[in-house]
Amino acid sequence: MMGHTGTETMIDDIRTPIRAFIVENFLFGDESQPLPDDMSLIDNDLVDSTGILELVGFIEKEFGLKVEDREIVPANLDSLARIVAYIDGKRAH
Amino acid sequence: MPEIRPVTAQDLPAIALLFQRLLRSEGVELNALADYMKTLFLEGPNYDPDLPSKVHVRDDGTVSGFFGIFPLVMEYAGKTMRAAVCGTFMVEAREDDPFAGARLLRDVLAGPQDLSFTETSNDLATALWRRVNGHVLPDYSLEWLRILRPASFVADRAAERVPAARLITPLLRPFDALAQRRKSNWMGYVPEASRADAFSDADVSEDEAAELIPTFLRQFALRPQWDAERLRYMLAEARQKALHGERVLRVVRARSNGAPVGLYLYYGDAGRLGRVVQILSLPGREGTVIDRMLNHADSRNMPALRGRTQPALLSAMMGRKIAFVHASSTIVHSRHPELMEAFTSGRAFINGLAGEGWTRLIGDRFA
Repeated sequence: MMGHTGTETMIDDIRTPIRAFIVENFLFGDESQPLPDDMSLIDNDLVDSTGILELVGFIEKEFGLKVEDREIVPANLDSLARIVAYIDGKRAH
Repeated sequence: MPEIRPVTAQDLPAIALLFQRLLRSEGVELNALADYMKTLFLEGPNYDPDLPSKVHVRDDGTVSGFFGIFPLVMEYAGKTMRAAVCGTFMVEAREDDPFAGARLLRDVLAGPQDLSFTETSNDLATALWRRVNGHVLPDYSLEWLRILRPASFVADRAAERVPAARLITPLLRPFDALAQRRKSNWMGYVPEASRADAFSDADVSEDEAAELIPTFLRQFALRPQWDAERLRYMLAEARQKALHGERVLRVVRARSNGAPVGLYLYYGDAGRLGRVVQILSLPGREGTVIDRMLNHADSRNMPALRGRTQPALLSAMMGRKIAFVHASSTIVHSRHPELMEAFTSGRAFINGLAGEGWTRLIGDRFA
């Protein structure tokens, strides 16, 4: 019988709301569009400076984190996987 | 890692180049522009090391963004408030760092000031401000337009694209005269006997204007705390603009006792659209000042006047055949609810001199 480890559950707790936010705000609710974890939000024209501020506002509110200005970079926020890793890393600290 | 830091003199050539590339359609002399930016952002009354203008710098050290800040001391309920007037905001190369504008705006708004505002935000910048709890102020965000000579106005607008169109302006005078005879038409202007005739207006020196202006601000709950030196500096800057025509600075007085009731500042020449920077008045005299200003522009054969709305003027603008359009937004950001309320209720004085409209960045040639 397969099960989720505690770590996987925590990651899902991050991924699920972030994915829902991206679908609702950047894909305008279109669930049919693929959203692989490593898909670049910038290269696919899904997010710009305006969108990133929406995303940062959501992260700060949803996860109770303070996103520093220097952390608003593609390395942290350009894909679902990077966003999840960034939030997970912030939580760990 | 990209960096945001206070602007230095070494950054100014790159900032001038950005300004030329992103905000100007015609050429500018970059050294002249950089020299002016030095006086504007690093010297004189607009430089405060605690509230500096900022640059966004790439990993390789090159400047990719700029946010021009004018510190402004304001007064609210007897207390001094520190404001950041957010002027030129520009970022390039969004392809390699699409979040630079977002970081720059957040950095500036996180400064030590009590409030921040911008009066000329385009749609893109407005979208950014909204995401960081910036509040768009509709009553401060409209351009008003009063057409005095409709045919000449059309020719002037056409001349913006085809300069030769200005040659036909004299031929259009009969059409303007016809429009002026049709008083029911919302266009056209006919000087008529009115209460404004109990007042006169005359050119005023910058020194005298600097003394008078604070008396017209007392009605506002949140207002700039300008001293005469600061006002003289801004008025002298405003005098030097080359692109918008002659600068007109006049005071309106009661004929009965000579008491000043208002003041206006606009740019314009005969046959050209005039641009109003500021209308100031005692409470209840807004309509009088507007009437004297329209009469003055009409006497100089100007086709129209345009300007930026302020809530204190809106009521007086009703019934004076003034049209309104939204072109850019005035936006405020503050962590103090009482200051936000002063803006949303129209009891704050901003736009024009309390903005960036007086600077040579808007309306000078730098050629």
